[in-house]
Amino acid sequence: MTHTTENGTVQLAYDADAKVATLTLAMPKVNRINDDFGLGLQQALDWAEAQEGLAGIIVDSAHKDWCVGADIDRLFKERNAADLIQRVRHLGALYRRLETLGVPVVAALTGSALGGGYELALSCHHRIALDEARIQVGLPEVTLGVLPGAGGTQRLPRLIGIQGALDIVLQGKMLRAPKAKAAGLVDALASDREALRSAALAWIAANKHAKQPWDTGARIPGPRPGSGDARNMFMAACGMLEKKTAGAYPAPQLAIAAMQEGLALTFDRAMEVEARYFVKLATSDQAKDMLRTLWFHRTAAEKHEGLPHTDALDVDRVGILGAGMMGAGLAFVCAKAGFDVVLKDIKAEVLEAAQAHCNAQATKLRHLGEDDRAALLGRISYTLELDALDGCDLVIEAVFENLDLKHAVTQDTEPKLSERGFWASNTSALPIDDLAKVSVDPTKFIGLHFFSPVEKMQLLEIIVGAQTSDQTLARALAFTRRIKKLPIVVGDGYGFYTTRVFSAYIVEGAQLVAEGHDPVLIEWAGRSSGMVVPPLQVFDEVTLSLVVKGFAMGRTYGKTLDIAAVKLIEDMVADGRAGKAAGAGFYAYADGRRRGLWPGLKDKATGTPESSAVEELAARLLGIQALEAARCVEDGVIKQHRDAEVGAIFGVGFAPNTGGPLAYIDRMGVAAFVARMDDFAARFGPRYAPPKLLRNMATKNETFFEPV
Amino acid sequence: MPDAYLFDAVRTPRGRGKESGSLYTIRPIDLLAQALRALSNRNELDTSQVDDVVVGCVTQTGDQGACIARFAALEAGWHVDAPGVTLNRFCGSGLQAINDAAAMVASGFYDAVVAGGVESMSRVKMGSDGGAIFDPATQWNVGSVPQGVSADLLATLHGLSRADVDAFAVESQRRAAAAQAEGRFSRSLVPVLDINGLPVLEADEYPRPGTTVEKLAELKPSFEVMGKQFGLDALTKSKYPQVERINHVHHAGNASGIVDGAAATLVATKQKGESLGLKPRAKIRSVAVVGTDPILMLAGPMPASRKALKKAGMQASDIDLWEVNEAFAAVPMAFMQELDVDHARVNVNGGAIALGHPLGATGAMLMSTLIDALEDQDKTTGAATLCIGGGMGIATVIERV
Repeated sequence: MTHTTENGTVQLAYDADAKVATLTLAMPKVNRINDDFGLGLQQALDWAEAQEGLAGIIVDSAHKDWCVGADIDRLFKERNAADLIQRVRHLGALYRRLETLGVPVVAALTGSALGGGYELALSCHHRIALDEARIQVGLPEVTLGVLPGAGGTQRLPRLIGIQGALDIVLQGKMLRAPKAKAAGLVDALASDREALRSAALAWIAANKHAKQPWDTGARIPGPRPGSGDARNMFMAACGMLEKKTAGAYPAPQLAIAAMQEGLALTFDRAMEVEARYFVKLATSDQAKDMLRTLWFHRTAAEKHEGLPHTDALDVDRVGILGAGMMGAGLAFVCAKAGFDVVLKDIKAEVLEAAQAHCNAQATKLRHLGEDDRAALLGRISYTLELDALDGCDLVIEAVFENLDLKHAVTQDTEPKLSERGFWASNTSALPIDDLAKVSVDPTKFIGLHFFSPVEKMQLLEIIVGAQTSDQTLARALAFTRRIKKLPIVVGDGYGFYTTRVFSAYIVEGAQLVAEGHDPVLIEWAGRSSGMVVPPLQVFDEVTLSLVVKGFAMGRTYGKTLDIAAVKLIEDMVADGRAGKAAGAGFYAYADGRRRGLWPGLKDKATGTPESSAVEELAARLLGIQALEAARCVEDGVIKQHRDAEVGAIFGVGFAPNTGGPLAYIDRMGVAAFVARMDDFAARFGPRYAPPKLLRNMATKNETFFEPV
Repeated sequence: MPDAYLFDAVRTPRGRGKESGSLYTIRPIDLLAQALRALSNRNELDTSQVDDVVVGCVTQTGDQGACIARFAALEAGWHVDAPGVTLNRFCGSGLQAINDAAAMVASGFYDAVVAGGVESMSRVKMGSDGGAIFDPATQWNVGSVPQGVSADLLATLHGLSRADVDAFAVESQRRAAAAQAEGRFSRSLVPVLDINGLPVLEADEYPRPGTTVEKLAELKPSFEVMGKQFGLDALTKSKYPQVERINHVHHAGNASGIVDGAAATLVATKQKGESLGLKPRAKIRSVAVVGTDPILMLAGPMPASRKALKKAGMQASDIDLWEVNEAFAAVPMAFMQELDVDHARVNVNGGAIALGHPLGATGAMLMSTLIDALEDQDKTTGAATLCIGGGMGIATVIERV
């Protein structure tokens, strides 16, 4: 017979024959770590200890997931270090109690164990997971600006060694069950629940006196803490981290420190050190900004909060026009999601390349069996014939960015749509209303701006035209869910949202070159401010000639700036330095690899700057994007503030450490931001002039997001 | 030759030097950095003007290796121009740092030098830096015994009984407790904080107030077994043939405590200090260091003090207050005997028996305690002295200004 702890969060069952207590985590909906969880665990341990002859404990879960970590709602609001450290220490003491009760404890991982959940599993003596790819274990904390605060930085290195633990903790890795077994994060795999339970019982019977390695004085795998080898390992970890993050992320930095410091101490005291580092991060501005966007906003976007919903996607067959990189990728993504796909192009060789691309992508899906892979590929048909698109329920047009061409294919193809069909145009800049002018039914016409490579990029920018119906948007969103993309929904206008922000970034990067700043400092300013890719490098990757085409297009919309950068880029394209694909751009290339910034850039300068302070360069690179984001809010392109953050970070690599362009403004203070941009406008040009929206907010002392 | 002045002195509380001690989780570099930061903050010190940071630290390995002075100054956020050097004169290191600073300033080559000390005995175990002192070859060529044996030999030579040393220890505890209760350490004491600014330790945690002679009498002498059964007493015999039998009187209750802590002081010329907007608290009248017999080891404070007094043109009776490090109870007791100094003028706020002895930091801590006590009692002259391993002694004479 099962009953639960007084607060109902843990189900309790005692097998009087085996003398094994089973604690089943059963919080409402999901198992998340908060005060209630702590109380339940405490009550469960009190109960277990009171069982006659207790010989072992199994911890499992009543939910699909085992335990997915901390209750972020609570953590997000916490600013008081003294309070938080007490709560963290209390949880740490509970985990400690579990592993020192004197009986073997097995974590029966029937679902994912992440963050504080995995730390609970680490506080068990043995971890057995179901051998299912859906199950993930790991410590993703640093990706949210914090670090594992319930023993993760201390138990994991003591369990699997310093290097292995660094790999998991610093990258916030989550591993699927089989890989987790290989990495030592779980000890054994079981084929099903029954096998898992018997394995757990068998392990308990065979390990009556189980103790954690850190309680037996066992040496940790690999180099000993304090040894020269360990020192080198930590040193290299610092170097690799700095190489990757340019110092923009304290969380992994402090995680290395917590690990190294803690390993020199007794286990219990090491927990204090970890707790302090955790609290330092969790109460920091950066963690708040990262949590707000990367957790709350992202989850809200994933759940389509505040957006129209339909249960009737009514799409079985998807037509894709244009089989270039984007079209081919889209075909694969749609087929993977179970749609029948017709991929059309006007050139046979393009179709062949697309087919090769899809085949190659399919072989990358290792978890698929031969039959499934064949079925997936079988869902895609490649065609030169317009008629093959007959009866498509959705056509995604992904031809070149040319209004006339797009009009032409729309007029040709729209009649092929099924009766229930709707039309999507994949474009990065052209206004949907302009494209929809030739449509027979603009209510069923929507913009879907995908990002390349489409297999990898999560974001989908959905553009709603003036006449696009709610129903069409709802169906587009349902489609988004099927292909597992993260949507933002924005209003129409040249460049929509992400392209405007991204263009501002790269063009300003080029402008800094034109002003005569050292390109090396420009790139460093980008990286050290947290931008995922520095401006000149990413400019080369998107190809300068495409941007020049964009300038031409932009001029027809009055959106191309009259600044030195434009001529610089046009000149570079004319000189054959069109970017990475051309083998020459802002960087020099050999064999397709960057070989340093092109020394000729210094001759492109039109002046000599007063100073090239990195801080100011960084403030310009982020500021110019934040201004554009604010203008998008003012224009109504951004309808929900969260989309500005999610779009910028997941779409164009805006500095995730800031939480996004609007959070960046908030954090500086709107008035301070306005003052700084006014200064920049006076010194560097009117493109820095803050929009009215910001001036009004500054006057009223408003922020985009509720301050925490 | 310019005079050297002491402008300020700060110290951290002393934490028990064990894994359960409060400061065990704090890296020694952070202990020292916090002392340095406290010194610079409260004096609004322009650290670019610090010509050197001289730090005593005995066990310079592990967390305390690689010139901790330099990295602690940087960790403290001090100006990159302020360099750092770490020195080791065993238990005299902290005072050596001050004496060196005084000599550097008095030489005219330096204007402002920060002197201090650090030791985290919980994290870096005494002796873990190795050394040749206990090599058999050194034994036969030089002679060397564990300090406890030396301390008991010193007690025996001075006729100090177990009851005498225990009574001294109880008095040390009583004085320390009274000083704590009356806030007499508060002028120098700066709390140790964690990375969140939360207090880790705000007061010395080693004292055991209420210690009685009866309680101490229950403790077994610590060095009797090694002295007698392991024959270590015999290693003193060739030098001290007149001692028939060493009387083992010392134990954990009447010897200095193993603790963690750090201290920092500012030594400068009067002119430099004034240009930094500071007022001197004391003038350094003289300094001295001596070598004595390494077997008896702990008898250095007497000759060192005499040497310093002579340099200052003073007598022992001219000194208002003394700080004599309580490495073992016999040390200050032998000192009082030999220099004929009344206990009322020695270690007025207790000593290392009650408060602990963070090896490299103690000398600098004694200086902070001494200045505070002189100011409290409105006295003028003071001296600090310590016994030192390897048979050395160190002393510093100061005068309030």
